[in-house]
Amino acid sequence: MSAPAPVETLDPEVTDEVDLDEPWVVIVWNDPINLMSYVAFVFRKLFGYSEDEAERLMLQVHHEGKAVVSSGPRHEAERDVFRLHEHGLWATMQQD
Amino acid sequence: MFRSPIKRRSDGSYRFGISPEERRLVADVVGQLRQLLLADDPSLARLFPPPYGDDAERNAGYAALAGSELIERRLASIDLVLDTIEADSLSQDELEAWMRSINDVRLALGTILDVDESERPATDPDEATSANLAVYQYLGVLLEMTVRALTH
Repeated sequence: MSAPAPVETLDPEVTDEVDLDEPWVVIVWNDPINLMSYVAFVFRKLFGYSEDEAERLMLQVHHEGKAVVSSGPRHEAERDVFRLHEHGLWATMQQD
Repeated sequence: MFRSPIKRRSDGSYRFGISPEERRLVADVVGQLRQLLLADDPSLARLFPPPYGDDAERNAGYAALAGSELIERRLASIDLVLDTIEADSLSQDELEAWMRSINDVRLALGTILDVDESERPATDPDEATSANLAVYQYLGVLLEMTVRALTH
């Protein structure tokens, strides 16, 4: 197995280029305001999850404080974050 | 037995039987939300989370691209709510606009009230806070009924 590249030695701009192909994950964070039923409904509506899967992710957010709800290239992750923000969910994205 | 005033019909539309008093309340609070959105009010920060953690540069880039679009879509939902404020029948799109706008108001109010998951404010409420809390809790009931109708 190969070790990960020593990113810290790369020029920041080069790092940006290299990272374009690395998948991003979209994370939804727990908050005290959004209703559990609402969060599960939004997951189903935006990502087409089954009722059971949406419920599982919602409960993961509720109990563990966050859950990964989607992943992909940066532009797709940003689109998902936008749609979650449109629905008032606390969503962020980061590279895995 | 409790019967929800919001119910899906077989033709895909929704019976929407909330009272005139409830409609006046919703019109009032979404109208206030519209004013805050147009004024770019800092109390709405919760509606626009920074997506890139501590990366200020990327957060600013996202805000520049998405910020005004997020405001436009919220204003469009509010318009749809106000256009159908007296309707006793809603399409799915209209009911989802009600859902998003009610949730936005809850996010703004909940932030101002600093509620925890028990829906109680962090400090002992004064009169104005109690009134806001009552609205917040009512909107929670209305949102729950809306989501239930959309889900089943």
